Amino acid sequence: MTGTLETLAQGQQGTNVDVFGASLSRRGFVAAGGALLASFVLVRSSSAQEETPSMRGIPTSKLSSDSFIEIHADNTILIRTGKSDTGQSTVFTAYPQIVADELYVRFEAITTVISGDTDRTPDGGGTFDLLGHGMPNIRKAAAYVYQAMLDVASKQLNVPKDQLSVKDGIVSGGGKSISYGDLVKGQQLNLTIPVMGDIHSMFGLMVTGNPPLKPVSQYTVVGKSFPNSSVVSKVSAKETWVTDVRLPGMLHGRVIHPKTLGSKLVSAGTLDKSRFPNAQVVVKGNLVGIVAPTEWEAIKASQQVASDTKWSDWRGLPTDARLFDYLKEDADWKSVPAATSKESKGDVAAALASSPKKLKTIYQRPYLKHAPIGPTMAVGDVRPDGSIHVHGHTQNPQALRTEIALMLGVSPDKVTVHTYAGAGHYGRSNGGNAGAEDEAVILSQAVGKPVRVQWMRNDDLQWSTQSSCAFAEVELAIGPDGKLTGFQIDHYMPAMQDDRPIGAILAGLPTMPAPNEKGSLFGMRNQPSDPWLYGATPAVLERAHGGPQIGQASSPINVGLRDHSLRTPVQYQQNFPRELAITEAAYLAGADPLQFRIDHATEKRAIAVLESARDSSGWKTRSGFANGSGPTKQGRGVSLMMRGGAYWACVAQVTVDTNTGAIKVDKLTMVVDPGIVINPLQLKRQIEGGAVMGVSMTLREELRFNDSTITSSDWISYPIATMADLPEIKVILHHHPEVGSYRQGSEAASALAAPAIAGAFFDATGKIARRLPLKPAYVKTLLEA
Amino acid sequence: MPTVLVNGVNREIKAPSDTPLLYVLRNDLELTGPQFGCGLAQCGACSVLLNGKEVRSCITPLSAVAGKEVTTLEGLPARWAKQKKLTGPEAAHVLHPVQQAWIDEQTPQCGFCQNGMMIKATELLESTPSPTIEQIKEAFTKSGPSPHLCRCGTYTAIIESVQRAADIMARSIL
Ligand code: FES
Ligand code: FES
Repeated sequence: MTGTLETLAQGQQGTNVDVFGASLSRRGFVAAGGALLASFVLVRSSSAQEETPSMRGIPTSKLSSDSFIEIHADNTILIRTGKSDTGQSTVFTAYPQIVADELYVRFEAITTVISGDTDRTPDGGGTFDLLGHGMPNIRKAAAYVYQAMLDVASKQLNVPKDQLSVKDGIVSGGGKSISYGDLVKGQQLNLTIPVMGDIHSMFGLMVTGNPPLKPVSQYTVVGKSFPNSSVVSKVSAKETWVTDVRLPGMLHGRVIHPKTLGSKLVSAGTLDKSRFPNAQVVVKGNLVGIVAPTEWEAIKASQQVASDTKWSDWRGLPTDARLFDYLKEDADWKSVPAATSKESKGDVAAALASSPKKLKTIYQRPYLKHAPIGPTMAVGDVRPDGSIHVHGHTQNPQALRTEIALMLGVSPDKVTVHTYAGAGHYGRSNGGNAGAEDEAVILSQAVGKPVRVQWMRNDDLQWSTQSSCAFAEVELAIGPDGKLTGFQIDHYMPAMQDDRPIGAILAGLPTMPAPNEKGSLFGMRNQPSDPWLYGATPAVLERAHGGPQIGQASSPINVGLRDHSLRTPVQYQQNFPRELAITEAAYLAGADPLQFRIDHATEKRAIAVLESARDSSGWKTRSGFANGSGPTKQGRGVSLMMRGGAYWACVAQVTVDTNTGAIKVDKLTMVVDPGIVINPLQLKRQIEGGAVMGVSMTLREELRFNDSTITSSDWISYPIATMADLPEIKVILHHHPEVGSYRQGSEAASALAAPAIAGAFFDATGKIARRLPLKPAYVKTLLEA
Repeated sequence: MPTVLVNGVNREIKAPSDTPLLYVLRNDLELTGPQFGCGLAQCGACSVLLNGKEVRSCITPLSAVAGKEVTTLEGLPARWAKQKKLTGPEAAHVLHPVQQAWIDEQTPQCGFCQNGMMIKATELLESTPSPTIEQIKEAFTKSGPSPHLCRCGTYTAIIESVQRAADIMARSIL
C-alpha cells in the first residue's frame, strides 16, 4: 500500500511513498550523518534475457543490495555501477556527468564512483553499450532520486513540489531553500527502484519505469570536458592495479598451456626440486600449473617443467595460409540457417541480370587478437569457509561469477569478484573474461592458498580468444544512370561469443556450452549487424551465415580457435566488405566515392557526417582514380557506418610506396554524430585511440597459425601499430542535442579505418586490395599483377 | 646482498641476482609503477631509468643494477624536485611535469603502458628540452630495444603531452 508524505514526515517506519513507481521510505533516524540510498527491487524477469543461452541452468544467487546512488549529509554523492571501466573513462566521466545533470548538482558533487565488484554494485552487466542507448541505468536511477528529493523537500519546506527548483544541490521554492545534505541529515531514507532482468546475464539488471527526466535543453554538466578521476592515480603511481593485488600467504602461479589447440596431457614434467625447492606442480586434467612463493621461481620452474612435459599431437587447423580457401571450400555454413537483414528489399537477381555494369567479388578479413598490452592476470582465493574470491580485471564481473560457480559446482553466492584497473582488452578476450581467473581459482583450490596467475605474453596471444575471421561475397550492379540498381552481400563468419573459460576446459570442469546450433542470441548463428545506409538502392539482399569455430569439433579437448567479441564485433567484419564494395561500385560508375555515398544515402545524419568528412578533410570531389605519376602515389578513401545510433564517416589519405609496397596513412579524418556529446575531450581521446587501432588492424595485424597451434606469440609475430605509424588524426564531433539522446560515441572508431584506407589505396593505384591486412608483400603482389 | 639506489634510497635486496629488476621492484620493493607487458623487451611497459637512461626492467637482472641509480614512476616527482632544488612542501606536492602534462592532456585510456611512456618522455626531455614531433616519434620508436607500444592507441595524446611537458619545464626555469 502506498503511503503519503505525511506518514513519511511523521517517521512512521515501513510506510512507503510512491515516487513514479519507486518507493521511498524512512528506515529511521540517526544521531550523526544521514543519507538517502537508492537501491532496487526486482520486479520481474525479462523473457528475452532469460533466454541468454550461456546462463541456462545456473541458479540465481541472492541479489546484491547495494545502492545505485547515495546522497550524504555532507552533500557528497556516491554512485555505483556493475560495469567496470576498462579504459573508456565512461564510468568516471560520462556517468557522473549524467547523474549530476539529473540531480541538478555540480560534477564535483559526485565524489565516489564504485564499479564492477560483485558484492558492492547493484546491477551487473558487461562493459559494452555503456551509454545504454541513451538510457544507462544510472540515469534513470538518478531521475528517481531527484523526484524523491523533491518529495522530501516539499514536505520539509512545506512548499508544493511543482514550485520547487534545484540548482547545485540546493532546493528552493516559496522563498525558502535547503541543501540535499540538510534534507537527509539525521535520517536514513531508502528509495527502492524497480528493476528487471537477470543480474548474472550478459546484460545485467535494467532499471525500469518512467521517472520524468531532465530536459536535454537544460543540461549543464553533460557536454563539458570533465577530467577522468582515474587518470591522476594512474599517472602518479597511486592506482591499485589488478597486478598489484597481494594477499597474505599468496603464491605466484604460472600455467603451462598445451602444445597444440587439441593436445591432451601425456605426462607432466618432473620438477627439479634441487633448483626449485619451494615450487609445486599442480595437474588437473590437461591443466598443468606451477606455484611458488616468488614470481621468479614460478617463472623459471614453469619453464623447466614445460620443457619436460609431454603432449599428444593434433593437426586440425587449416593454417593461416589456407584460411580463406578453407572458409570458402571446407567450412560448414549449413548447420545453422542464414539470417536476412530487415533492410533487404526488391529483386536483386533481376537488377543484376539487367544492368550493364556489374561486380562480383569476395572480401576477406583474418582473425585478429585483442592483444592487451598487459597479459591477463588474476588472483584466486578459495577459502576454507567455502567462499571464493577472484581479484581480476574482467569485462563482466557478475557473468564471471556464474562461470566460476558453474565450474566448481557451487552457488554464485559463494563467489565474489573484485575488479581493479588493468590493461584494456577491448571486448572479451577469454571466455567472456580477461583470462586467468578460472586458472587462478583452480590452482588456489588445489594448494589451499591464494594464487596469483599471470599469463605470459605467449599465453595471451596463443590462448586467449580471437576476433573471428570473416569473408563476404558481393554482387552489385550499376544502372545506366550510374546508380546502384542492386546490391547483394553474403557474410560468412565462424561463431563468436565462446564463453567457456579456458582453464575450466583444460581441467575438465563444467563450463557453459561452446557456441552450437542452438542459442537464440548467439550460438553459431551470424546476424546482419551493419545497418544499410544506402536507402536509394532499389534492390538489396544482405545475408549472414554462421558456422562452428574452426578446429573445435576435431580437437580432443574441444578447444580449436576460440572466438570472442572485439570492439565493434560482427559489424567490423561486415562493414569492411560493404564499404569497400561501395567504393568499388563508385569507381565502376565513374563517380566520386564520397559523393556516390551521399547520392545513395537517405538518412540526413548519414549524409551530414559524409559532408562534414568531405569538408574537413579537404576532399576534392572528382571521378576516376588519383592517377599520380612516379613511384610514390597518393590517394584518398572514405567509409560510413551507423552503430548503436551514432553515425560515423572517415576519410583516409594515404601514400603508397610502389617500390616497397608500404602504405603510409598520412591523415585520418573521423566524424561522429552520437546525438549528444557528453564529454568532448574524452570522446576525442577515445576516437583518436580507436583510429590508431584501426590503422594497426588494417596494415599490420593478422593471427598466424599452423596446422596445430597459434604461432603468433609475441609482438614480433603479432605486430601492432607504433608511434611511427601514427597519422595525423582529425576528430570532428557533431553535437546534436535535438536528437535528444547520447549514443555510442567511441567503440566504432577502430572499424572505420580499414575500408577507408583500402579505398584510398585503390584510388592511389587503381589496384584493389580485398583482403586485410595490407602488408607490403601483399600490396606488392597486387601492384605487380 | 646487492644494494641498489632506488628513487634516492639505498635498498638492500634479498632476491637472487638473476631476478629481473621488474619483479624486485614490484614484489620486493612494492614499487608498482612499472608493469609486466611482455617480459621480452618488446613493449616498454616495464621501463625505468637506470642512471638516467631508459631500460627495460623485465630483462635487466638485478646483478646488472647493483650500485646504480634506479628511478621508477614513483620517483619522478622527487627527481624533478631535486633537479629544480625544490624543498619542503613545494617538493612534497609537486608532480613531475611529465606526469602533470599527462593529467592535463588526459592521455591514458587504460593507462597500462603509460608508465613506460612517461619514463621515455622524461629521458627524452632531460636531453632534448624542446623536441620536435619527429624527435618524439624517434624516441618512442627507435631509441630503445623496441618501440613503446600502446594498444589503446594514445600516441597522439602522448605527443601532445610531451610537448606540454616541455612547455611546463621551460616555464619553470628559475
Ligand atoms: S614488459 Fe618489459 S619491455 Fe615489455
Ligand atoms: S593506454 Fe592502454 S595500452 Fe596504452
